[in-house]
Amino acid sequence: MSLLRNTLMVLILLTIAWVGFIFITFILAYTLFPALEYADGSLTLGLMRVAVGIAVIMLWIYGWYMLTKTWLRKMLS
Amino acid sequence: MITLFIFFILSLTLVMLLTPLFIKIGRRLNLTGVDIHKPDKPSIPKTGGPAIVIGVIASLTLYLFVKGFSTEIIALIYSSLIAASIGLIEDIRGEINPKVKPVLLVVAGIPIIALSVYTPRPVLPFIGATRLTKIYPFLILVSYPVVCNAVNSIDVLNGSISFTSIAFFTAVLVVSVIHDFEYPMLVSVIMLAALMGFAFYNKYPSRVFAGNSGSLFIGAVMVSIAIIGRVEVVAIIALLPHIMNEMHVIFSMRGLKSAKQYNSRPIIIENGLITANPDEKAPITLVRMLSAKIKAREDSLVKSISLLSFYSMMLAILTNTLFMR
Repeated sequence: MSLLRNTLMVLILLTIAWVGFIFITFILAYTLFPALEYADGSLTLGLMRVAVGIAVIMLWIYGWYMLTKTWLRKMLS
Repeated sequence: MITLFIFFILSLTLVMLLTPLFIKIGRRLNLTGVDIHKPDKPSIPKTGGPAIVIGVIASLTLYLFVKGFSTEIIALIYSSLIAASIGLIEDIRGEINPKVKPVLLVVAGIPIIALSVYTPRPVLPFIGATRLTKIYPFLILVSYPVVCNAVNSIDVLNGSISFTSIAFFTAVLVVSVIHDFEYPMLVSVIMLAALMGFAFYNKYPSRVFAGNSGSLFIGAVMVSIAIIGRVEVVAIIALLPHIMNEMHVIFSMRGLKSAKQYNSRPIIIENGLITANPDEKAPITLVRMLSAKIKAREDSLVKSISLLSFYSMMLAILTNTLFMR
């Protein structure tokens, strides 16, 4: 195991996180946002959009963390 | 373009001239930190922050005199000065409670909201500008402690804060040149010059550290310019290594804790070489990941972290070019 290899492993992890971010915005762009962006601005719809957005971002971060944990375990084994 | 070049030279010159002065002040006032990764553990002045702050704020103030009043620049100056002041207090009086510090840093977001220099319609990939009218001010306040602490926690190796921040502001500069955004272009040019000047003294082996005043100031400028310039997504992608480092520390430590409260350190230092702590309970940090099962020199690790930041910079530019409307 060399520093170059470790750096490459983290680069791959960063790429996965980036692809994940692009993927969730893509999904939201074609599902949730069109449905709510032009709906009449009721408070419930606004709050729902924010709640879903935050939940998705939290899920992305948590998924990224779990992946990193597994990744690190593999690197240290 | 000539104006930008003049401000680049001004900011670079100021930081290059002021840093040696603040190194002397730091030594005289005993404002030093131990360089724990060196075998002889030398004491290094942690007063580089004020040199960066003065260089950047003086350049921005001169811009206001030359180009006229700008609420956006005033808000950025206030926000970053508040964050720098919190950092300076921490540098002088010692560590602030890790649960109180984020609350204090929220205050740095107030000038942006009070002077109304934000647009609550962030531009997202595929979606374009979206309405976040009610939640956006809340997100502004939260983003200051998150980013300031993220920049602070990546400042663990000689030169790491300088090179990772240079990558961030390069991403903002490229995107602002593509879209002809005035303020992000100006601020990123001034910050790049200041950071390049500071990197000369901060690179391995460091003659000065940025201290909390420097790292919190840089973090606050990053957030302010992302909000004012409407380059939020570019900023998030360019900050992926910082976010990764900070979030994983918080998750693995199960909350906001001081480095002194860690039961198990993320890395082990042997004769100036760094290796990852194999203990499963040790916090997950970028340095720990990079030094897994190897013994690495500090300067090599800084090169790796810088490489990660420049890679994220490219991803940020790519995201802007391919996926933003």
